[in-house]
Amino acid sequence: MSKAIIVALREVRTYLQDKADLAFSLLLPIGIFALMYGAFGGQDLFHGTAYIVNEDGNGKFATMLLERLEALESLDVEQLTPAEADRKLNRSDLRMVVIIPEGFSDSLTAGKTASLVFKQRGNGGDEGQIVASLVRGVVEEIEQELQVQAQVKTLAPSGIPAARIETTVEKFLARDRQSPIVAIKEIPVGNSRPDPVKQFMPGIITMFVLFAVTLTAQTIVEERRKGTLERLLTTRLSTGQLFIGKFLASLGRGFVQTLILLVLAGIVFRVFTPLSFVQAVVIALVFAAAAGVIGLIIGSVARTPDQATWMAVFITMFMTMLGGTFFTVSRGSVLYILGKLSLNTYANDAFKGLIVRGDSLADMGLELGVLIGVVAIGLVLSRVLFRAVPGGR
Amino acid sequence: MTEPFLVAQDLHKSFNDHKAVNGVSFTVGKGEIFGLLGPNGAGKTTTIRILATVLEADRGDATIGGYSLKNSPGAVRTLIGVCPQDLALYPDLAALDNLVFFGRMVGLSGKEAKAQAMANLELMGLANRARGKIEKFSGGMKRRINLAIALMGHPRLLFLDEPTVGIDPQSRHNIYETIQGLQANGMTILYTTHYMEEADRLCDRVAIMDGGQIIALGTPRELKGQAGDPDKTTLESVFLNLTGHSLRDD
Repeated sequence: MSKAIIVALREVRTYLQDKADLAFSLLLPIGIFALMYGAFGGQDLFHGTAYIVNEDGNGKFATMLLERLEALESLDVEQLTPAEADRKLNRSDLRMVVIIPEGFSDSLTAGKTASLVFKQRGNGGDEGQIVASLVRGVVEEIEQELQVQAQVKTLAPSGIPAARIETTVEKFLARDRQSPIVAIKEIPVGNSRPDPVKQFMPGIITMFVLFAVTLTAQTIVEERRKGTLERLLTTRLSTGQLFIGKFLASLGRGFVQTLILLVLAGIVFRVFTPLSFVQAVVIALVFAAAAGVIGLIIGSVARTPDQATWMAVFITMFMTMLGGTFFTVSRGSVLYILGKLSLNTYANDAFKGLIVRGDSLADMGLELGVLIGVVAIGLVLSRVLFRAVPGGR
Repeated sequence: MTEPFLVAQDLHKSFNDHKAVNGVSFTVGKGEIFGLLGPNGAGKTTTIRILATVLEADRGDATIGGYSLKNSPGAVRTLIGVCPQDLALYPDLAALDNLVFFGRMVGLSGKEAKAQAMANLELMGLANRARGKIEKFSGGMKRRINLAIALMGHPRLLFLDEPTVGIDPQSRHNIYETIQGLQANGMTILYTTHYMEEADRLCDRVAIMDGGQIIALGTPRELKGQAGDPDKTTLESVFLNLTGHSLRDD
């Protein structure tokens, strides 16, 4: 066993000495976390951009509309020229543009009807539809204010100047906007993090752990390429010790990387309690071990680094796709049955149980049992395959 | 010949339909330097790989220090050191770390491995480069490190597979002196080379292989004597007479 540890320590030493490799491998989980944060870590409430073509220029009501839209917290306003809007719509850079037509303010001032135009691709997309309803809300608000102004003018005693009536009504309307009679409060239910974190984080973690497959396979093949494998086979190091050493080194490396990812996710998304974090670490460790032995099996049969890489990529993709990382496989389908061959299925189930349902390790007996079984069988199988392939011992 | 230390009997090894080693038998005495010569593809390296327990012979067996390759490969490994034809080093580690690592692999403690590593580096004239990374070393220095690693654990039988390929005369000279010093200390050495002059100078006996078989065996002088006046004939001319002049590219 001590020789296995010496082999593992040599691997670690090589890893630590290659500063670029070290930096990149430690930055990788941070980079993946940044992507996760970008995808899931934004605001809970909607925030979008209203793209507006203002053909009415400095018209009073166009300006009012723009000011009111800009005042909305959930909306940014970006003004475009008609040509820019058409180009972006044609290229699908945008799904919906609001056009304030020329003469918009003049029509409203004259007491006539006026129209806004929503120019959109298809249904305008989710964001476009929400922006459209926000714009409609502001327009309705302006329309009601205009009606109030008109009603007050007809009801007010004669002799009061129209400008004074208008200023006074505007003052009351502004007060109402600040303190509306019927206000809407938004109360988030449950904790504030969005569901996609729970939904996708297990898949991202398991996909990340699968890098161990390639790394472990490469360590064996690299040893073969350098000629040191054959040299080691003439020493008192047994093949079992060699494989366990390689396994421990890549397990340690993969585990440290995964730990960084779990710690960051735990701190920012608050998906773990202290106990569930420890349980997540245990699942990650067992899954990294299972991924590591798959790497050992590949390393046992691959003759070149390229062969090892492609075998590892194929197996990683297979396990990721069928393991429920990117999409849920429907129960009972052929893919679902094939998915049972994927380690990700069990690791995802375990992580989802922990993060979504609050399960404990005791509830994950099947998943952890399968993964531990793969480790045990994989260690033996890799040894057998190594013997069977020419050049092994 | 002194007491036999290595006895190879009827070794056979095929790769697909190619018979790489086809009935090779020879004996190497204790403390002897035995040369295994032959053109490319003659079966020298395969023979060494079988004797070093890397490959299993399809047929035949050998004993090293009384241990059978087939029955006690683990015991054989405690007696041998291997300096492979291709450099087998960790280029991203320092010279000392390479030697210490392989020292630990042959069963030395950390302290013993470090002490032996420093002694071997001294022997190879590389003590002042102990902390240097292998990747920064010249070809000759790497060859000497390759040999120094093979000496870790003081093996009783050393396999040297073309240890002087592609190096400068100074490094070659250093390796010759080291090999002669090792023999003087009682080490048995199995040596392969393409340099006939080298074999003539170092080896007590040589076997010439071709087509996976030994086609001649004796002291360099005996072999030269079979071709004419041993003082005027070179081992190279004997070699060419026996193996022919056609090119061997595999």
